Amino acid sequence: MNDPKFDYYARKNPEHEHDHAHDDHAPVNEHDHGPPSEYEILSRAMQELLEQKNLITAEQVRKRMELFEEEFPYRGSQVIARAWVDPAFKQRLLADGRAACAEMGTVLEAERLIAVENTSEVHNVIVCTLCSCYPRALLGMPPTWYKSRNYRSRVVFEPRTVLKEFGTVLPDQVTVRVHDSNADMRYVVIPMRPQGTDGWSEEQLATLLTRDTLVGVTVPHVPA
Amino acid sequence: MTDTPLNKGPHDIGGEPAGPIDTIDHGMKFWERQANALRSVAQANKITSTDELRRAAEDLGDKYRDLQYFEITTSALRTVLLEKGIVTEQELSKKMAEIRARFNVPDEMESPLKKKAST
Amino acid sequence: MASSQQSVIYPASTYTPAPAHRYNIGDRVRVKRAFPPGHQRTPHYIRGKQGMIERICGAFPNPEELAYGFDGKPEKTLYRVRFPQKHVWPHYAGPSHDVIEMEIFEHWLEPASHDDGATHGGSS
Repeated sequence: MNDPKFDYYARKNPEHEHDHAHDDHAPVNEHDHGPPSEYEILSRAMQELLEQKNLITAEQVRKRMELFEEEFPYRGSQVIARAWVDPAFKQRLLADGRAACAEMGTVLEAERLIAVENTSEVHNVIVCTLCSCYPRALLGMPPTWYKSRNYRSRVVFEPRTVLKEFGTVLPDQVTVRVHDSNADMRYVVIPMRPQGTDGWSEEQLATLLTRDTLVGVTVPHVPA
Repeated sequence: MTDTPLNKGPHDIGGEPAGPIDTIDHGMKFWERQANALRSVAQANKITSTDELRRAAEDLGDKYRDLQYFEITTSALRTVLLEKGIVTEQELSKKMAEIRARFNVPDEMESPLKKKAST
Repeated sequence: MASSQQSVIYPASTYTPAPAHRYNIGDRVRVKRAFPPGHQRTPHYIRGKQGMIERICGAFPNPEELAYGFDGKPEKTLYRVRFPQKHVWPHYAGPSHDVIEMEIFEHWLEPASHDDGATHGGSS
């Protein structure tokens, strides 16, 4: 899967759904092109051994993959869209990210969420320099650039230059606030709501809240 | 003055000079999604913890810089499972040979990982 | 169909109580210039730097011990600390009001003086 235009927010085609209830060890339909690397083989070996030792089940792994693919990536935009339309909810989200998400029925599992708000004076951007901590239960898996050495090492000391690489230019009078997600907390950005969205429904607003805007490397904009 | 950083792991890279960022998200291959789910389930089932997995990744030393993200996380899980005696080198090596055969990967494909597993 | 053995109770709040917290919001603190071996969650680049307590996150098991299979108790208070970028990076090119924030455990902090927070010596 090396499609540069891969969009995490596009729902997968129903025709790709399949049932591997009985044959998870040699999935016929789901594999990458080319021979498996040693790491793939190692990962599969560990999975099978753990299954054989009754420490995990294939079903648990399958369900987890499904959650990461079908569920987690869509939650963040919904929560933030709610914050845009409901100022009291936004305040509760800022005060306690987990509790506010729970109000919406979005259980973040063990993740402790801190929401940080962009204003005309402050722009927030998130990183985990030490590994790749990310609010996975809210946003799904992090993009490849977030996990890259170059992002992790540079955004902390030259955030404005890094943001320019994403096409985001901030005037000097705006404070750039970098958050290094290095311990128990996880972060999401509440972007500024763009002009020209008065009267939009939460669903419509959610379409503006791409994953990149929620990490803070881009800002939402109304498509021309 | 340049100090040699003391006890600085290969993961502790905030502030290091680095090149341009590939801003396109290249997504995840199937095996990476499965490896990610495996790691998540292993933690949920209390086989290991985020902290142990992070530490095992950091202990990869120079290898850390050469491996891709899911190669690192997979190596880390292997380290922890071996440490805890949940699997043995022998079991792993045997299972990997089984899987290799299933995928019809030629035996001539000698990898550093396979060599290590057989020592 | 298999399901998890027990239903997990997840915490309701992002934060946990930290009744024994030493520092308060607004306190000036310095991150220790310490370089122990092993697993820590205090990045090298912030060691020795001075900042201000932005919020108290709560008390959590010590990751430095969890990493080796210990229970990490007694829990340590975790803070969010805000640092002016100009005081973290000697050659920071952005405006002086830019900041960086991260979580630092109490045992990595010491009280700072009321100076302007300029870096002491070289950065690590």
